[in-house]
Amino acid sequence: MTNSTQSTESEHSGPVLTGAGIEKSISGPSGLLTILHALDIEIQPGEATAIVGPSGSGKSTLLGILAGLDTPTNGSVHMLGQNLSELDEDERARLRAGKVGFVFQSFQLLPGLTAHENVMLPLELSNAPDASERAMHSLEQVGLADRSTHQPLQMSGGEQQRVAIARAFVANPVLLFADEPTGNLDSATGYKITDLMFSLREKLGSALVLVTHDDKLAARCDRRLLMGDGKLAAA
Amino acid sequence: MTLSHQFRFAARAFKRDFKAGELRVLALALIIAVASVTAVGFFTDRIGRAMERQAADVLAADLLATSGLALPEAIAETAKENGLSIAEHTRFPSVVINQLDESQLVAVKAVTSGYPLRGALKLTTLDAPAEPAPLDTPAPGTVWIDTQLKNILALEQGDTLTLGAKDFNVTRLIQFEPDRGENVFEIAPRVMMNADDLQASELLGPGSRARFTLLMSGEVAQVDRMNDWLKENMASEVRVQSVRDGSPQLKRALDRAQQFLGLASVVTVLLAGAAIALAVRQFSLHQADASAVLRTLGATRGEVITWLALRLSMIVVVASVVGIIIGWFAQLILAQLLVTWFSMELPTPGVWPPIIGALTAFIAVAGFGLLPVLRAGRVAVMRVLQRDYTGLDTSVWVTTLIGMIATYVVVLMQSRDWMLSAIVVAGVVLMLGVFALFGRYIIKLVRSIAGARFRLSVAGLQRRAGSSVVQLAAFAMGIMALLLIAIVRVDVLEAWERDIPADAPNVFVVNIQPDQVEGFDQRLQSQDIDVAGIFPMVRARLVSHNGVSTLSENESTNNNERQQRRARREYNLTYSDEPPPAGEVVAGQWWATDGSAEPAWSIEEEWAGQRGYKVGDTLTFKIAGVEVTAPISNLRKVDWESFQVNFFVVASPATLAQMPATFVTSFKIDSDFSTTTSGWAREFPGIAALDIGAIMARVKTLMDRASLAVEYVFLFTVLAGICVLLAAVQSSQSERIRESALLRALGASHNQIKHAVVAEFAILGAIAGFLAAFFATVVAWALSRFVFELPFEINIWLWIIGVVGGAVGISIAGFLATRRVLTTPPVVALRNTA
Repeated sequence: MTNSTQSTESEHSGPVLTGAGIEKSISGPSGLLTILHALDIEIQPGEATAIVGPSGSGKSTLLGILAGLDTPTNGSVHMLGQNLSELDEDERARLRAGKVGFVFQSFQLLPGLTAHENVMLPLELSNAPDASERAMHSLEQVGLADRSTHQPLQMSGGEQQRVAIARAFVANPVLLFADEPTGNLDSATGYKITDLMFSLREKLGSALVLVTHDDKLAARCDRRLLMGDGKLAAA
Repeated sequence: MTLSHQFRFAARAFKRDFKAGELRVLALALIIAVASVTAVGFFTDRIGRAMERQAADVLAADLLATSGLALPEAIAETAKENGLSIAEHTRFPSVVINQLDESQLVAVKAVTSGYPLRGALKLTTLDAPAEPAPLDTPAPGTVWIDTQLKNILALEQGDTLTLGAKDFNVTRLIQFEPDRGENVFEIAPRVMMNADDLQASELLGPGSRARFTLLMSGEVAQVDRMNDWLKENMASEVRVQSVRDGSPQLKRALDRAQQFLGLASVVTVLLAGAAIALAVRQFSLHQADASAVLRTLGATRGEVITWLALRLSMIVVVASVVGIIIGWFAQLILAQLLVTWFSMELPTPGVWPPIIGALTAFIAVAGFGLLPVLRAGRVAVMRVLQRDYTGLDTSVWVTTLIGMIATYVVVLMQSRDWMLSAIVVAGVVLMLGVFALFGRYIIKLVRSIAGARFRLSVAGLQRRAGSSVVQLAAFAMGIMALLLIAIVRVDVLEAWERDIPADAPNVFVVNIQPDQVEGFDQRLQSQDIDVAGIFPMVRARLVSHNGVSTLSENESTNNNERQQRRARREYNLTYSDEPPPAGEVVAGQWWATDGSAEPAWSIEEEWAGQRGYKVGDTLTFKIAGVEVTAPISNLRKVDWESFQVNFFVVASPATLAQMPATFVTSFKIDSDFSTTTSGWAREFPGIAALDIGAIMARVKTLMDRASLAVEYVFLFTVLAGICVLLAAVQSSQSERIRESALLRALGASHNQIKHAVVAEFAILGAIAGFLAAFFATVVAWALSRFVFELPFEINIWLWIIGVVGGAVGISIAGFLATRRVLTTPPVVALRNTA
């Protein structure tokens, strides 16, 4: 992917992600409903931030806006020095390609592709060289090299999430978003997945924005922000 | 991502799609569409050309140019320039005298080498009428004669006949002359001679009543080009006849056969199109999640759309190749089956059918898939975090419009008829609309009356109201097509075949003199031959219309040749109190049948239409030097396929009874023609008995072959119909798997779920069957009435089979297609939906 956004990473110093005055309202059956109230947030390079809060508090909505998957009603988000509101959807996608990783609660692996192909995806999307080798290496790091030809449906939930983690880290992302990564897993598997995710993050120095309602998981982050009534507070 | 990267990426996904069965129904629908369009194309092409070739036999050429005067040289020259094969014949009445000085009026046909260009004469010698003789052209100095002349003049092999100023040896007996049927009323026995002898025999003097014909044959395009040229440049000089405007019976048989084949392929394409639409929609819906994930990972909208479009294109390419191969083999097998039916080598198929087949697939997928793919590309990325984000802008109208345009284009490619295609597409849209509308109400009705036993099933229908209605419309369309094929096809084909009645006459007797009528009638009775009547026949020339000479009525009044030809044209008129049996009055009134009717004409509808004659106009005919004027009192429709004696012009007895007439009759004999008629010529001098059984048999075989071809073609339609059903069933499969997993997790037994699924499909099937039967009846009526012009009867089986068959068939199909619902462990299904 060759475009102007590619150069931003090297030029950029300072926070990898900044949200200022983020507001999100949606029109509901009983009029306009405000989910996020003028939130400010800043994520430094390599920093791990947990956003905790009860279900329905707007954590995932905030994550979506910070990752450029959705747009705020008011306010701005700067990712790697770029103002997301100045970019259209495709430009935001290009900005993410190869630099931002995701780990989802429901894994979000493509069912038609093998583990290896799923992991290769971000590299292919950013035209990175040696995609196949790097994907294999990433799978080895999560201990699933021997399952590389298996499809998601042939794997357990824990294995699928490990593939998702391999995919998230394969492009050495500057920034990693994780949405309830252990939400669909039993606690033992959840711990293993968390260990894996944190050790890879530390190794690569990626910043992490983690949304969870699991306090233990949140405790492993550098700082915790509490989400309640659409507002953020340090926890 | 570079394009080659994208291509590799799409190819990999495509490979996986295929293994995972994601594209199975779409592939199947596409293969059926392509195979059917290709096979029907190849088949129609070959059979159509073979049938035209057969019809050409009746003209002995593909194209004829005939004139009462010697033909302009330019015609033969242009024909040669166009690469056509040519031959000529000249026909005229004359008299032959045998060695005993007995004379007989004959119809001479002087032919050049090459005649006939199409079809073949059947020749024998006079002494061995069972053994075929070699085919060529009569050698100079020899003539060939038919059985009639042999009987009348008691001729034997090698006898001498004097014709004009020259003596000829009789060398061959003509058992069959392919283009004799063209002039059934050419009553005199045949003498065929070599055209080179014409001059020496001094037969053609100035003013002789000869018809000069140039026969032409060649490739379709060459013939069409020549036909156009003739119509453009020679319309006033010559009468042009091509296969299409040859014998009215054959023309109708050919037209109908092509209508049937065209209809079969249009229905097939429509059904396959519906299956494609359902399958593409399903594919795109399934791709929404994957698209969202790709966008999250950095793919642009364009890349996602390209990725989806490439995968669809790949399947179109693969399905087209497979479809074309299947289509090729299918037509090969069919052609092999039919080759024994056609007494000729089938022409080789053209290159267009596979191209049109592949194009159909591309257009169908593009038309039905474009919008869903664009939508999948635009899916809200937030879907990866929150499933309730669809982001699919569902413009039903735009989808429908694009789908309609695509349908129109594919139907147009099949039918090549703008209007017909528009009607078909409008009809389908209307029908689907009605299916959807009524379906919604009927589902509501069933919901309100369903007992506890079916609560789970009806609840299923209720939950999936939207997709139930889509399924219902698809089922109804599929069932309707199958009903039309299974029942209506048989009805229509039977009605068509009934068109040639079993008691259709196979012998015409003409030139019966008034004083022979009674004696001949008795003779027929003594031979146990039933006749519908012996009709007077008066030869007349049309001289004026509403007092205006028919010679000056047309624009090119200065054209002397044309005037001469028109003035020379003779018509056979008859008179009668009663309307002829094979026909009905369509305008005006038939005259009084008690003999009190004033002079009046009854004119055949088409004949009148071509000349612009209406009820109330007056026509003057010249009969034996006397002019007879009378008003047109009515227009008649004539059923030419009845093979009864028919006349363009019938008069009331007061108009023509005083005029010189000969009589004509027709009847059916089961015994041998020659034996039955052997003594007649001597007993009733001058009468001519004509065997038209051969022509009838030809029309009949043509119909048989055409219906056989149509039946085979409909096989594809059945497959496409089944494909629609499959696609419709599949469209709710994943939803059903999730639901049943949930129900099973909540404690529903295997049997309960099985029953619920089967009952739900049975209810849907029965409703769809009912709607389908209703529409099949309407369509069958419309087809019979407007397209095939055949009588229509309501078929009760349509309703019974529709409803019962719909319920049983759909529940079996539904159960088989959704058995994964039962075999997927609830935990797997639930985990996948998390």
